[in-house]
Amino acid sequence: MTATVSDDTPLAEPPLADAAEIRAAMEYYARQNWTDGLPVVPVTESYLAEFLARTSRDPGDVLLAMPHLNRDCTVRLAAINAAMSGCLPEYFPVVIAAWESLAGEGYPARGIWQSTTGTAPLLIVNGPVRNQIGLNSAGNVFGSGFRANATIGRAIRLTAINVFGLRPHLLDQATQGTPAKYSACIAENEEQSPWSPLHVEFGFDPADSTVTAMIFRSCLHIEARHTQVPEQLAQDLAGTIARTGARIHETISALLVLSPEHARLFAQAGWSKDNVRQYVFGHATNTLAELAAVGKEAVSKNTHWRLPAGHPDAMPVADSPDPVPALNSPAAVQIMVAGANNAGVSAVIETFGPRGNPPAIAKVRDLDD
Amino acid sequence: MPAVSICTDAFVPAAQAMAKLYGFPGYQFVTIPHPLASLNEAQIEARVRDMMPEVLRILGMGS
Repeated sequence: MTATVSDDTPLAEPPLADAAEIRAAMEYYARQNWTDGLPVVPVTESYLAEFLARTSRDPGDVLLAMPHLNRDCTVRLAAINAAMSGCLPEYFPVVIAAWESLAGEGYPARGIWQSTTGTAPLLIVNGPVRNQIGLNSAGNVFGSGFRANATIGRAIRLTAINVFGLRPHLLDQATQGTPAKYSACIAENEEQSPWSPLHVEFGFDPADSTVTAMIFRSCLHIEARHTQVPEQLAQDLAGTIARTGARIHETISALLVLSPEHARLFAQAGWSKDNVRQYVFGHATNTLAELAAVGKEAVSKNTHWRLPAGHPDAMPVADSPDPVPALNSPAAVQIMVAGANNAGVSAVIETFGPRGNPPAIAKVRDLDD
Repeated sequence: MPAVSICTDAFVPAAQAMAKLYGFPGYQFVTIPHPLASLNEAQIEARVRDMMPEVLRILGMGS
């Protein structure tokens, strides 16, 4: 389904070009530091015009502002970086929707991309545009091999670097960062999901195409190939969410990216997405003793970060429930389906940002019908 | 109001980049050793005592 890969494609006639001149252009971009480290595609005004022709937005429209840096990302700047990242012009409406979702999500504009936390945006694409531009939603969905996924995700990173100046060791202070800072764009495997896709769950029409951006750092995989018991699978997901290393704030949030096999296991047992949410919310907990063992049993009265009970800022542990929920509500868990229908492997995405509020979903506009 | 910015030495390059961005290259910071978040109360007090001469120097109140 959606994007396909074939080893049988005959080799195309290569274009006639001076390879040394192509390399010289690429090296020029590298010397300017207009890169994530990988080669970028040189952009001319005529090529940029092909991107701008794909949107009804004015080139000067601001897609995302970072007032603390006094810098804005305009449609034109987003297009330049999308072209540099290797996007095709027809991908550009998806890139614009990604920026609209990121603006709605709110965390990037407040500086999270400069934080030591070291997060990256995850872009989730729903609707017909997935098939129109060849976005992968099936096997190797978090991996490599698909131009639309690779370059749309990369377009956000190149813009962060080149427009907002978020270069590592300088304005990007990530302690370790995440491999997702190169690119993180997936499509939902709507065709093999037993439930409504993410965008439909939040009020969009199935025929709408959307981008949902979430800020995340870690992608933790669940191995559960052995079970047909929904409670066992849900407990595995809940236990992964509640790992103590993730518990920075009083509560956290997560996106479950279920493989078709796992989603079907739940659905065949009669579980809706909300049933999964409720179970995971109820079982994603740590005992106070488990948290005390890592010095996170209390919560700061100022920042609501977790810290030891003896810390001067700590609120009284006597007021805490035991066990301690990792999530503030079932709504702090979002659920989607992606990957191949070939194994009981799913993923927990540890998201930062809204905890319990609906995700920021942006409609992809200006698509060819 | 006179103010002094304080950061751990780990954040000096980022602080300098922000200062340059705002049009104040060469802006002076008080820098203290990293880390900070994991210190106890006594260690924090020691950090404050150690940095006070530098705070006063940047404010133009040093001896």
